[in-house]
Amino acid sequence: MCATLTDTARDRERQDETTLRERIAANPEPAIAWSLVAVALIGLEFGAFIAGLLLVVDSAVIAVTALIEVTVGLVSPSASESIVGIQQAASGTLDGFRSTANSLPTLLSRETIPNQGYKTGPNGPWENTFLGLEPAVAWAIRAALVYAYAAFVSFWAFRGWKIFRANYRQSDWTPRDDVIDRLDGHRWAQFGIIVVLIFTTMALFAPALGPTTVEQNIQSPYSHELQYFDAEDGEVRTALVGDANFNSKSKGNGEQNVGPMTYDDFGRFHPFGTLTNGRDLFTFAVMGARISLTVSALSMAIAGLIAIVMSLASAYYKGIVDLAAILSADGITSIPQLLLLLMVAMAFQGHWLSDVFNGGFLLALVFGFTGWPGLWRAVRGPALQVSEEEWIDAARSFGQRPSVTMRKHMLPYVLPYLLIYGSMAVGGIIIALSALSFIGSGLGINPPTPAWGRAISMGREYVSTQSWHIALIPGVLIVVLVTGLNAFGDGIRDAIDPESEGGAEEEAAAGGTAG
Amino acid sequence: MSEMTQQRGRADPAVVGETLVEVKGLKKYYGGQGVLADPPVKAVDGVDFTIQRGETLGLVGESGCGKTTLGRTLVQLETATEGSVEFDGTDITELTGKQLKQWRRNAQIVFQDPESSLNDRMTIGEIVREPLDVHEVGSPRDRRDKVKDLLASVGLQPEHYYRYPHQFSGGQRQRIGIARALALEPEFVVLDEPVSALDTSVQAKILNLLEDLQEEYDLTYLFIAHDLAAVRHICDRVAVMYLGKIMEIGLTEELYTDPANPYTHSLLSAIPEPDPTVEKERITLPGTPPSPRDPPEGCQFTTRCPAKIRPETHEQLDAETWNAIERFREVIRERSRIDLSIRNRIRRRVGRFSKYDDIDETVADLFDGTGVSEEVMAHVEQAADHVKDGYPNRAREYMGEEFDSVCDTTRPDLYTVSPTNRLSYCHRHTDEYESVDSVLGRQSDGE
Repeated sequence: MCATLTDTARDRERQDETTLRERIAANPEPAIAWSLVAVALIGLEFGAFIAGLLLVVDSAVIAVTALIEVTVGLVSPSASESIVGIQQAASGTLDGFRSTANSLPTLLSRETIPNQGYKTGPNGPWENTFLGLEPAVAWAIRAALVYAYAAFVSFWAFRGWKIFRANYRQSDWTPRDDVIDRLDGHRWAQFGIIVVLIFTTMALFAPALGPTTVEQNIQSPYSHELQYFDAEDGEVRTALVGDANFNSKSKGNGEQNVGPMTYDDFGRFHPFGTLTNGRDLFTFAVMGARISLTVSALSMAIAGLIAIVMSLASAYYKGIVDLAAILSADGITSIPQLLLLLMVAMAFQGHWLSDVFNGGFLLALVFGFTGWPGLWRAVRGPALQVSEEEWIDAARSFGQRPSVTMRKHMLPYVLPYLLIYGSMAVGGIIIALSALSFIGSGLGINPPTPAWGRAISMGREYVSTQSWHIALIPGVLIVVLVTGLNAFGDGIRDAIDPESEGGAEEEAAAGGTAG
Repeated sequence: MSEMTQQRGRADPAVVGETLVEVKGLKKYYGGQGVLADPPVKAVDGVDFTIQRGETLGLVGESGCGKTTLGRTLVQLETATEGSVEFDGTDITELTGKQLKQWRRNAQIVFQDPESSLNDRMTIGEIVREPLDVHEVGSPRDRRDKVKDLLASVGLQPEHYYRYPHQFSGGQRQRIGIARALALEPEFVVLDEPVSALDTSVQAKILNLLEDLQEEYDLTYLFIAHDLAAVRHICDRVAVMYLGKIMEIGLTEELYTDPANPYTHSLLSAIPEPDPTVEKERITLPGTPPSPRDPPEGCQFTTRCPAKIRPETHEQLDAETWNAIERFREVIRERSRIDLSIRNRIRRRVGRFSKYDDIDETVADLFDGTGVSEEVMAHVEQAADHVKDGYPNRAREYMGEEFDSVCDTTRPDLYTVSPTNRLSYCHRHTDEYESVDSVLGRQSDGE
C-alpha cells in the first residue's frame, strides 16, 4: 500500500498515458490467449447468446413503448393505440429474429443432448435419447454441462479481470483490489456468491435445464404428444402429454405419487418429482427461478435507481430537496403495499400491461415504486456523509457541474451500500412474490406460468404424505436463495468496510505486535 | 524574519502595489431565517480589508472565530449574507452561472485536511486533471502534460499519476491538493490551514513549497492559520480575527513586534518562548469567547479584554474586583441564553422559581474575601436577586447600566495606528482614552 519512490521500469513505462488498445498492441499475448477462449465460450452458445440479447432488447422496446403509451394515453387515447400498434410490430419483428437465433445449434440445448425418449422393449434400449442413454443420465449430463459451462465462464471472466490488472491496467493498485482481496478468505461471502451464481445460471439456462419444456409440459400439454413403452401391452404407444400428466399426479397416496429422482409410467424422468397435476416440478422450479429473479431484479433496479438519485440529490442540495425526498418517501411508505397490489391487479385486469412477463412486470413496477423509500433511507446516510467531504467543496470550487460531482465524487461511495442493502432487500421481494403466488386469486404471477409460491400452495396439503416434495423443494430453494443473497450482501459489506466486522480482531493483532 | 522579506525583494505591498481583492462590509450569517428561528450565528460580522496583488495576507485567530468561513466566502464556497468581495474590480458575490464558473478559475482553495480533500477512488492524475477537464483547457494530451508538470513542481514524481491517494502520506497528499488548486493557474489562492494537519517536520517543507510556488506563479495568498510562527514566516501582512471581526491588520513584522490591539497583545503573548531565561509577560485571557449567536453590542472583545475601558464611576476599582465583575456578567449572560421550560416559566410567574438559586455560590466564589466595596457588592446582590427570580435578562440589564462603558455599548472604528497604514479595532486609539500600551504596561507592573 505504501508508495515506493523507486523508479521501477514498469513505472517508467506507465509515465505516458496510452489507450487500452495501444497497451494491448504493445503486449498482445495475454489478451489474445484470453480472447480466444472467450470467443470459443461464446461460440458454444452463440445462438442462445444472441437470442438472449434480443430478448433483452425486446423487453426494453416493450417497456419504453409502454411508458410512452401510458403518458400519451393521458392526452389522447387514439394516439396511444397507434403506439400499441408500433409496439406490436417491433416486438413481432424481434420475435422473428429470435426464433432464427434460437434455431442455431448450441452445445447446451436439449436438441444436442436429448433426454426425452422411449424404451423399445422392457429392458431398453432407449430410443431418441442422447447416445441411447437412460433419460436420467442424459438429463444429468446436460445439467452438469450447463453448470460446468457457467462455472467456467465465471472463472474466465474473473481471470480476464486479473489479466487486465496484471498486464494492461495503468495503476498497479486501486482501492477495488483490496475489496476483492478481502473476499478471498471470506467463506460466507463466497457461499453467497456461489448461491447467486447457481440461481442466476438456473434462471438463464432454464429451458435447457428442465427435463421437459414449459410449453410442452405445462403451457399446452394437450397439443403435444409423447411416445412411451407400455409395459402391459409390451409395445410402444403414443399419448398426449396432458393425459400422461393426468396419470402421473402426486397426490400423497401410494398409487398417486411420483417422487424425486424417479420415472413415471410414461418413461419420463422427474428429478424433483411431479406436481399435484402431474406436471414436472423441476421444469416448473427452474422456470419459476427465472420469473422470480427477473421480476425481483427489475423491481430492485427501479427501486435502486430512484433511491440513488434521490439520496444523491438529498445529500448534495440538502435543505428543501432533502425535505421533499423525505416527504415523498414517507408518503409512499404509508401506503399499504398489499392493498396497492390488490388495487393495481384489479385496475389493470385485462390490460396488456398485466400480460408482460405474465403479470410479473406490473408486480415489478409496484415493488419498485413502493420499495425505494427503504433503500433510499439506507443510502441517504452514507450519501450525506460523503457530501461533507472536502473533495465535494473542492469540486465546487473549480466549478464542476453538480451532476458530475454527484456521479464522480459521491456515487462510488454510495453504490456499494446500495448493493449491500439491495441484495438483502431482494430476498424480501422474492419472498413477497412467492407469497402473492401462494395466495393466488389474481395476485402474483398468472397461472399456468410457473411460480414458486404456487407450487408451495399446491403441495401444502401433502407435506406430511409421501408427496412432501411438492411444497418442500420450492421452499428450500427460496430459503437457500434468500440466505445466499444475505450472505452476498454481508460479504460485500465486510469487503468494502473492513472495520465493520472483525475490527476487534485486527486491533488485537495490532496490539499484539505492539506489545 | 524581516530579512527574509527583504531577501524576497518584494516591494512593500501596503505602500505600493495594486489591489486584487477588496472586501467591504462582508457578513456571513448562518440560520436565523424564519419567524421562530434562533438568532443567526454571526460567523463573519462585517469585515473590511484589501489584499494586494502578489502578497501573502495571514489570517489568524482562535478556533471558531470565523476565519475559515471568511476564506470560503472569498472563493464563493459560501454565499455572503451582506457586503461585497471585489476581485479585480468585479463584485464576485453577484456572479452566477457561467460568469461564476469562469471566475472560479481565478481563485482556488487548498483545504486543511488532506485526508478529506482528495477523492480516494480517483487516481492522482484524475484528481489534478479534473479542474482542467471542467474548464476544457487545451487538448487531453496538453492536460496530461500539464498535470505531470504540476506534479513535478509540487515535488512529486510523474509516475504518481496512476497511483491512488491511499498510497501517499499526509504531506504528499497536501502537495496533491496544492497541485489541484494550481491547475487552473489562479491568481488568488486561499490556504485554509494548509499545514495544521501535518507533522511538524513536514510543515516546514510545505510552507517552503508554497513560497516557491508563489514566486513561480505570481500567486496572491490568503493564509489562514492559528500557528502564529508559521504566519510570521510566510506572510507579508497579517489580519487578526476575533468573533467574526478583524481586530488588527498590518505588516507582519510590525504587528508582531509592536501590536496595537489588546487582543493581538494577548494572542502574541501566547507564543511559547524557546529561551527559558527570557522573562515574558503572558496575558491570559479569562473566560471563553461569547457565543457568535449573541455577540456583545459593543466591541466583540469587550467581555475578555485586558485593557477594557471602565466607566468613570468605577475607575478606581482594583483589577481583581473588576475581573470578578466581568466573570459574573459572563455567567449572567450565559444564563440569559437558556430557554426555560413551560413548567419553570409558570413557577417564575407565581414566584416559586428556584432553578437559579445556585447563583449565590457563584457570587461567593467570585467575590468572597476579595475586599469588594459594599457599593459594588450591593449591585452584585441586586443582580443575583434578579437571576434567582428567574430573570437573568433583567440582571444583565442592571449590571449593564451600572458597569457598561463605551466598550460595551459602541462598536469601535478601525483606527490607523502606524504610518504603514496598520489598522486596529479599539476605542483606546482615540485621544479620549489612555493608550493600550500604557494600560497593559501598568497592569504588568502592578502584578
